[in-house]
Amino acid sequence: MSELTARVREIAKRLLDNQQVDVVFGWEKGTEPFSSTPVFIRRPEEAERLVFDEFCIHNLSTYLLDYRDGSEKIGIFVKGCDSRGVVRLLEDEQFTRERLYIIGIGCPGMKDPVAHALAASGLDGNQDTAGLSAKCRQCVHPNPVLYDELLGVQQEPHLRGERFAEVKQIEAMSTAERYQFFADIFSRCIRCYACRNICVACNCRRCIFEETRPQWVGRETNLADNMMYHVIRTMHVAGRCVECGECERACPVGIPLMLLNRKLIKDVNQLFGPYEAALSLEEGAKPPLSRYRTDDPDNFL
Amino acid sequence: MKNFLEYLGFEPERYHTAWISGSEGQKFADVVTRVVEDVRQVGPSRKMRDAR
Repeated sequence: MSELTARVREIAKRLLDNQQVDVVFGWEKGTEPFSSTPVFIRRPEEAERLVFDEFCIHNLSTYLLDYRDGSEKIGIFVKGCDSRGVVRLLEDEQFTRERLYIIGIGCPGMKDPVAHALAASGLDGNQDTAGLSAKCRQCVHPNPVLYDELLGVQQEPHLRGERFAEVKQIEAMSTAERYQFFADIFSRCIRCYACRNICVACNCRRCIFEETRPQWVGRETNLADNMMYHVIRTMHVAGRCVECGECERACPVGIPLMLLNRKLIKDVNQLFGPYEAALSLEEGAKPPLSRYRTDDPDNFL
Repeated sequence: MKNFLEYLGFEPERYHTAWISGSEGQKFADVVTRVVEDVRQVGPSRKMRDAR
């Protein structure tokens, strides 16, 4: 058992023992050595289930949405990306700070459980099991931005190379090439909505994709409706995406959703000035597209 | 939005936005004329249609 796991258990036990919180969000070991899964514990003796290892890849902040209508106090363990998710919810007024006890962990980057599963199965020996997962290789903010207590060590950004390199590559293509590129990708979409469901920025109570009167987007899985879905989904998280990469990780058909999200992050930076979503919690602060100024650029419409 | 549609491979000529007040009749006419001219140039769109 690692030192961090021991610390995590100790803190969870303490919080539940002295009734500072009603439930603790953390990770526990899954059915395989290469899987850790979210777990929600309520009794001090359950703290022994908690772990913190290199497979705690899930962003736990999304699960706060399941508790937004209650009054229970919640202890939540957060990596850098999870903590930005928490700020997202606070900024969007979906949660109150008073109900949270946040334990931050400087994140060394997580490994890809799927790659490890494939390698272990013997089905595909060419998996990269040494390096970080795809989402963590793009990480610029591995350290928690909001916490009551901090564990682990301060980490350096895991991103090597240029953040918008892939976006620029696509921008450099011709219109026809770009259409073909994305048409190929979107035709794979099975419209399972995993990317929306796992997203902490997708926190509307009633989602446009569930509206039936009027039905804004066709439910069929054809290219036109799939494209419509992805245009709307991306625009709805514009300026609010915390870049946790969960959408892309959850996608069962490998749609590079961060290629869409990152394009809008780049555009928001260019049009509204440098902006990093949910990096700190400030009273009344709103993302660029959630406020109105007379000098807002027209181009973003 | 315009940038994003362009990124996905749609011709930028097809998407226009403009602020027009109810009292700006001439501006409205000018904008619509320009939209029609732009769209004529790129021709009929099959994207998002044939894709069904």
